[in-house]
Amino acid sequence: MADKTRILIIDDDEDYRASTRALLEGEGYEVFEAKTGREGVEAARATRYDLIVVDIMMESPVEGYSVVQALRGGGDGGEETPIVMVSSVRDDPASRFPMAEEMPLITPDAYMTKPLDIPKFLACVKRMLGS
Amino acid sequence: MNPAPWPSPPIIVIDDDPTMRRACQAALERVGYTVETCPDGASGLQRVEQVRPGVVIVDLKMPGMGGLEVIGRVREIDPEIVVIVITGFATVGTAVEAMKGGAYDFIPKPFTAEELRAIMARAVERWHLTREAARLRREKEAQARKFVTFVSHQLQSPLAAVGQYLDVLRHQMGDAATATQKQWIERCRAKIGEMLAMIADWLTLSKVEGGQLATERVAVAWPEVVRDVLDGLQTAADEKPIQLHNEVPADLPVVRGDRAALRMLLMNLVSNAIKYTPAGGQVYVSGDADDQAVRVSVRDTGIGIAPQHQAHVFEEFYRVKDESTAGISGTGMGLPICKKIAEELGGQMALASEPGQGSTFTVALPRAGP
Repeated sequence: MADKTRILIIDDDEDYRASTRALLEGEGYEVFEAKTGREGVEAARATRYDLIVVDIMMESPVEGYSVVQALRGGGDGGEETPIVMVSSVRDDPASRFPMAEEMPLITPDAYMTKPLDIPKFLACVKRMLGS
Repeated sequence: MNPAPWPSPPIIVIDDDPTMRRACQAALERVGYTVETCPDGASGLQRVEQVRPGVVIVDLKMPGMGGLEVIGRVREIDPEIVVIVITGFATVGTAVEAMKGGAYDFIPKPFTAEELRAIMARAVERWHLTREAARLRREKEAQARKFVTFVSHQLQSPLAAVGQYLDVLRHQMGDAATATQKQWIERCRAKIGEMLAMIADWLTLSKVEGGQLATERVAVAWPEVVRDVLDGLQTAADEKPIQLHNEVPADLPVVRGDRAALRMLLMNLVSNAIKYTPAGGQVYVSGDADDQAVRVSVRDTGIGIAPQHQAHVFEEFYRVKDESTAGISGTGMGLPICKKIAEELGGQMALASEPGQGSTFTVALPRAGP
């Protein structure tokens, strides 16, 4: 059997990292954490992950969209890693990506709102890893 | 000598009479004011625009642009500028007219230097107070906005984090949890949900107060909104169960308003109706119109509202607490939000209710023009 599936969580909220990690580890994934957008981008460039979960609204200079953009545009092979973006913004989904057409680079592969709907989130993770 | 306990703003004197210009300038400069003069309305306004003086003295009767027009234009440039009118024909009528036009005070000719300085001292004080009040108002608004941001981040985030811990616990414990453990987790989850809903309502209310919620003015068809809202609440109604009835005629005239705000308004009314109606009850949404107004009503067969509470249910944070409402949670902000939305759109809310029989909440909005 191959190595465990590796998932990177990029979130500045310690509690979210802890509970999401526990959840994913409980499902048998190997989980890694990054506390800031910069840390996340560095980690993703240094190592291959099978999936990246990133929070939009991080209180750091490199927030979620910048992370997605950096990873998508990196040209270092990381472009293929699926990205799930999570956020506590509860607006209309369309308004979250007002410039999606102009900026496909910042569009993640999936989008989930906080608080996470656990079964939906796990299904989404599975789907992302399957493709 | 400083004429007032404040630093003095620049003063502009607009008068076609050169003697009067010189006299005013000299009288005011003698006590330390900074004064410049202009011979007519047009050049005066130009200087007002550039200098942004604290006080403008203007002669009411001038060739070309008259004093009254100057007053209006100065107020347009900056409503904080205090305008004093010089009037040669000291009738009450012209003075009143000038004050109505926005002048702060008037001084009839002939006047002494002392009289002018006394009026100027008051005008400068007025200017400072107006500016101070505006500054405080801006500060207060900024504070309120900061507080809203604080609440949203500092209260919502930890609650949401606790919520996710509970969700993960519930997921991982699965069937291993005892019935009591499951129940407690559910109750914690419900309490967090209530608190998050309360914060969301509070944020909404503060937006409505800022006049930011019902911003759109488009033609809104109530029947679509009603269908949409009832669809959204069908699950909640089924769980109870409550039957929802849509009796809104498809040809109900459109209203002008903010679609999202009206949706929120109706959502609040229908979810209240579901909440305060015992299992097996009915909720009817109906609509009618006349030449002036379009009304949509939400009627339930619920617990009703006692007369002494009816006048207060639209007040913020007011909640009816008695045996009939025990165990029903709410924030006391839903109806105030409805009322504010209705009023922002030029309409109003009405309530008819009888305890034990049910309640009817009606939103009446002005009918949109052709």
